Amino acid sequence: MEGTMATDISVIGLFSDEQKTAAVIEDMSGYPWQIDRVHSPFPSHRIFDALKLKKSPVGWFTLVGGILGFFTGFGLAIYTALEWKLIVWGKPIVAWIPFVIVGFECTILFSVFANVLGLIVLGNLPDYKGLEKYDTRCSADHFGIVVSCEEEEQEQVLEFFKNNGGETRVFE
Amino acid sequence: MSESPQLTYGEIDRTVLDTLRPPTGGYWLVIMVLILGVLLGAACWVYQIFVGIGAGGQNIPVAWGTYLINFVFWVGIAHSGTLISAILYLFRAGWRNPIARAAETMTVFAVSIAGLFPFIHLGRIWIVYYMLPYPNQRYLWPNFQSPLVFDVVAISTYLTVSSLFWYTGLIPDLAAVRDKATGVRKKIFTILSLGWTGKHEQWRHYTRGYLFFAALATPLVVSVHSVVSWDFALSVVPGWHSTIFAPYFVAGAIHSGLAMVLTLMIPLRKIFRYERIVTMKILEAVAKTIIFTGLIVGYAYAVEYFLAWYSHNAVEMEAFRWRALGDYSLEFWIMVVCNSMVPLLFFFKRIRTSIPWLLGISILINVGMWYERFVIIVGSVAHGFIPHAWGLYRPSAIEFGIMLGAFSLFFLLFLLFLKHLPSISMTEMKETLDHGGDHGD
Repeated sequence: MEGTMATDISVIGLFSDEQKTAAVIEDMSGYPWQIDRVHSPFPSHRIFDALKLKKSPVGWFTLVGGILGFFTGFGLAIYTALEWKLIVWGKPIVAWIPFVIVGFECTILFSVFANVLGLIVLGNLPDYKGLEKYDTRCSADHFGIVVSCEEEEQEQVLEFFKNNGGETRVFE
Repeated sequence: MSESPQLTYGEIDRTVLDTLRPPTGGYWLVIMVLILGVLLGAACWVYQIFVGIGAGGQNIPVAWGTYLINFVFWVGIAHSGTLISAILYLFRAGWRNPIARAAETMTVFAVSIAGLFPFIHLGRIWIVYYMLPYPNQRYLWPNFQSPLVFDVVAISTYLTVSSLFWYTGLIPDLAAVRDKATGVRKKIFTILSLGWTGKHEQWRHYTRGYLFFAALATPLVVSVHSVVSWDFALSVVPGWHSTIFAPYFVAGAIHSGLAMVLTLMIPLRKIFRYERIVTMKILEAVAKTIIFTGLIVGYAYAVEYFLAWYSHNAVEMEAFRWRALGDYSLEFWIMVVCNSMVPLLFFFKRIRTSIPWLLGISILINVGMWYERFVIIVGSVAHGFIPHAWGLYRPSAIEFGIMLGAFSLFFLLFLLFLKHLPSISMTEMKETLDHGGDHGD
C-alpha cells in the first residue's frame, strides 16, 4: 500500500480513535488518493486489516538464520573435535549427543541475529529521514494517516479528513 | 481491588514519562551507597587476582563456593524476565504487560552479573579467552563435550538474545520519549530509537519479528538453566548425578525470578505511583504463579529424597541424610521452609493481596533460593564418597565483599535504568487498553 505518486505534498489526518482510523482507511478506497503510510502508537490489527496488509516475510530471515546456526554449531563442534582428537570418558570423537547443545544454542542465536537483521532491512531502519514528515503525537495518543497527493488535490484531502473528525497538517 | 476509571493513552504516557524527570537527592544518595558497594566488590576481586584464588574460602573437597552459588543464583533470577516477556506473551497473558519491561531489564542485568562469576572463579582471568573457540598456535580447542563449555555457549547466547529482545521491545518507547524530549536528550533518543515513527510497515515487520523473538526465547530459557544444571548432573558426585536436575533447576529459576520481580516491582509501584498500571490483580497473578513454581520446587525436594532411598545406594542415602541433619542442616531447612512452605501462604487471598506480605514472602524466597544453591553446591562436594575426603566450607571475607559488590551492581544498574529509560512498556500498555483493558483490572 506504499504510495507511488511522484509529488512533494503529504497530508496527514490525525485521529484519536483507532476504530475511527480504521474506518477512514476503508472509506478512502473510494477516492483516487493513495495512502502513503499510517502511523500509530502501538501495532493495531484493525489498521492492518483495513490496509489489507500481508504477513511480514521476516520469518524467512529467521528461518535462514536458524538453518545456518544449526550447521554452524554442529560444524564447529565436529571440526574442533576432529582437529584435536581427545577421547573423553570413552565417548566417540564426534559425539552427537553433547553436540546437540552447541547446535541448539547456535540455532537460536543465529535465528535471533537474522530476525533482527530482517527487522532492520524490511523496516528500513534506521530511518532518520522519516522524522521530517512525521507528527510527534503519533507516538503518544494519535493515529496518523498520511496521503501523498497532487497540489490541486490537497484541499479535497484536507476536507475529507476534517469531515471524518480528524485534525490535519500538510508536509511540504 | 478494581481501580477505575479506565486508563487512557495519554495517562499511560504521563505516568511513565514522569518517572524520567530529574531525580531527588535521596536517589543520588542511594546511588552513591551502591557505587561504594560496587567499588568494595571490585577491590576484593583485584585483591584476589593479585593474591590468588586461595583468597576465597574454597578448599578441597569444596572447590566450588559462593562464586558458583552466585552464578547459579543470578542465572536463576534472570529466568523470569524471559518467562514473563516471552512465554506469557505467547500465551497472550494480558497481566504480563505492565511488568514485562522491568522483568526483561532484570534479566539482562542478572545474566550479566551471573556471567561475571565464572570469570571471578577462574583466578587467572587474563587467560579467559582460552574458553573461546578460535584458531591458535597451540592447536587447542574448547572441549564441546564438557558441560562447562556448554555453559559458555548457553549463557553467552542467553545474554545476547535477552539483550536484543529487551532493546527491540524498547524501540517504540524510545521514540515516544524522543518525541517529548528536548535538546541533547532528544538527539540521544533519536539515535537510540533508530528514527522509529510507528508507521504501518514498521509495525508489520516488528510484530512478526517480536513473535519470532518470543518463540525463540522460550526454548532458550528452558535450555539455559538445564545446561546450568548439567554442570552438576553430568558429574558423578552424590547429590548431583540426577536426571531430575534440569526440570528442578528450571522451576527453581523461575521461582526465584518471579520472587525478584515482586521484590523490585512493589517498591517501584509505590515510588513511581504505578498503582493504576501495576494493579493488585497483577501482583496477585505473580503470587499465584509463585504457588505453582513453589509446589514444583517442593516436589523436586521430595523426589530427590525418594530417589536416594529407592536407589538403595549407601553413598547417595548418606548424602541426603547429611543434608537434612548434618553440618549444613540449618541452610537446608531455610531452603525448604522459604522455597516450598512459605509460598503456600499465597493460597490465602488476604495474604496475596497484602503488599507487606507479598514483599516479605518474595524476599524470603530470594533468601531461600540462594540457600538452595548453597545446599546443592557445597552440600554435595563436602560430603562425597569416602569419609576421609569429607570437609567443610565457609566463605571468606573476600567472597562476602565480592557478593556484596554483585548485589550492589545489580541494584545500581536497575536504579540507573529506572531514571533513564521507560520502566513500563507504554506501547504494550496501550495495546492492552485496545484489547479491552485486560491487564489485571
